[in-house]
Amino acid sequence: MSCEVKTSQWRLVEVGRIVLINDGPSKGKTAVIVEIIDHKRVLIDSPDASVPRQSFPLAHVSLTSIVLKSLPRGARTGVVAKFWEKEGIAEKWEKSALAKRIASSEKRWALNDFDRFKVMVLKKQRRYEVKKALAKTAKASA
Amino acid sequence: MPESNHRLYVKARHLSYQRGKRNTNPNTSLVQIEGVASPNEATFYCGKRVAFVYRAKSEKQGSKIRVIWGKVTRPHGNSGIVRAKFRKNLPPASFGATLRVMLYPSNV
Amino acid sequence: MPAANKSTGKREVAKWYPSSQEDPEPKKVRKSIRPTKLRPSLKPGAVLIILAGRFRGKRVVYLKPLSGGVLLVTGPFKINGVPLRRVNARYVIATSTVVDLTDVNVDKFDDKYFAREKEAKKSKEEKLFKGDKVTKKPTPEVRKADQKEVDAALLKNIKNVRHLPDYIASSFSLSKGDRPHLMQF
Repeated sequence: MSCEVKTSQWRLVEVGRIVLINDGPSKGKTAVIVEIIDHKRVLIDSPDASVPRQSFPLAHVSLTSIVLKSLPRGARTGVVAKFWEKEGIAEKWEKSALAKRIASSEKRWALNDFDRFKVMVLKKQRRYEVKKALAKTAKASA
Repeated sequence: MPESNHRLYVKARHLSYQRGKRNTNPNTSLVQIEGVASPNEATFYCGKRVAFVYRAKSEKQGSKIRVIWGKVTRPHGNSGIVRAKFRKNLPPASFGATLRVMLYPSNV
Repeated sequence: MPAANKSTGKREVAKWYPSSQEDPEPKKVRKSIRPTKLRPSLKPGAVLIILAGRFRGKRVVYLKPLSGGVLLVTGPFKINGVPLRRVNARYVIATSTVVDLTDVNVDKFDDKYFAREKEAKKSKEEKLFKGDKVTKKPTPEVRKADQKEVDAALLKNIKNVRHLPDYIASSFSLSKGDRPHLMQF
């Protein structure tokens, strides 16, 4: 009997993994794991002072899809900054789906009553167009 | 128009009375407002009017629907629960019932 | 003080002893009646959401403050059926949308304008037997004319902004997942 063993596709807690901080004073900012302390805590750092180097509970963190593969273990802030710059993490983060979703939801919450109404109107128009196109194709295929 | 289309109140749940380990204080009710998860958010609702709408067997003033009105007084605890006082204390049978938290008196 | 009456010669005794203090001055009321201060979000021209009463949920245009925290609003009547009306500021959400109020003249509207006409007093018998029959009074022609006059100027301004007429025509309501404490208005 033989079986194939594949590495899992999960996002792992690993040195170099970019994380999104969900709680505390740096809520909403990104940082990188530089050292794993235990199964619950990691040491995080960021290139600038936005997130100070600190031990952080994994419970209050989201793992992003971005990894700084080449980052050495236990790198200090200066080294982190260098790698961050080299890999273009800031741009990668901005382009990631998660960052876009956060930005759009923030925008939605900031809308005023009139803006919400306008969004509703636009959505209605889109729905109408989609339904029209769907009816057309259904008719053509039938 | 169906009722759901013109709701102008926030749904809330009557949890319990204010209480200690052994004593209850039916003067004050604890209310969980939908979507409120912190005392900070709960402050928005302080002073807002609350209604417990229920149906009774006998008609009064031509209607079987009756209302007990109250007011949100202050946040309670750390998870967005609020305290409310009613003109007549809510009956214990209303634990778990839905209340209506009105948007008035408004501050926005 | 007992003193002899000059004419009769009798001693007259005062009915009461004088109080120890001569006529104390009544306390002055130091509270002054201050005019109501409205929330800063209530700017004339703002679109308001009415929260209670017959027109609850309607979006209306705020024209000017009247005395004691009461606001003058209009639908405009042609758009959403709300006439020139007084509403309490506490029963209203002020949105950040502001309608241009140029050429809209609202000088003649005050509390007196909206005062109810006093009904002729009925005799007791009449009250007893006829009861308070609610007869629908037709809207006075003056009101209708005033409504038209105010709305005409306002409508022009509203129609200048895209989607604004539809917005004012629609009514506000909460649906699943709406969080008024987090919403911006």
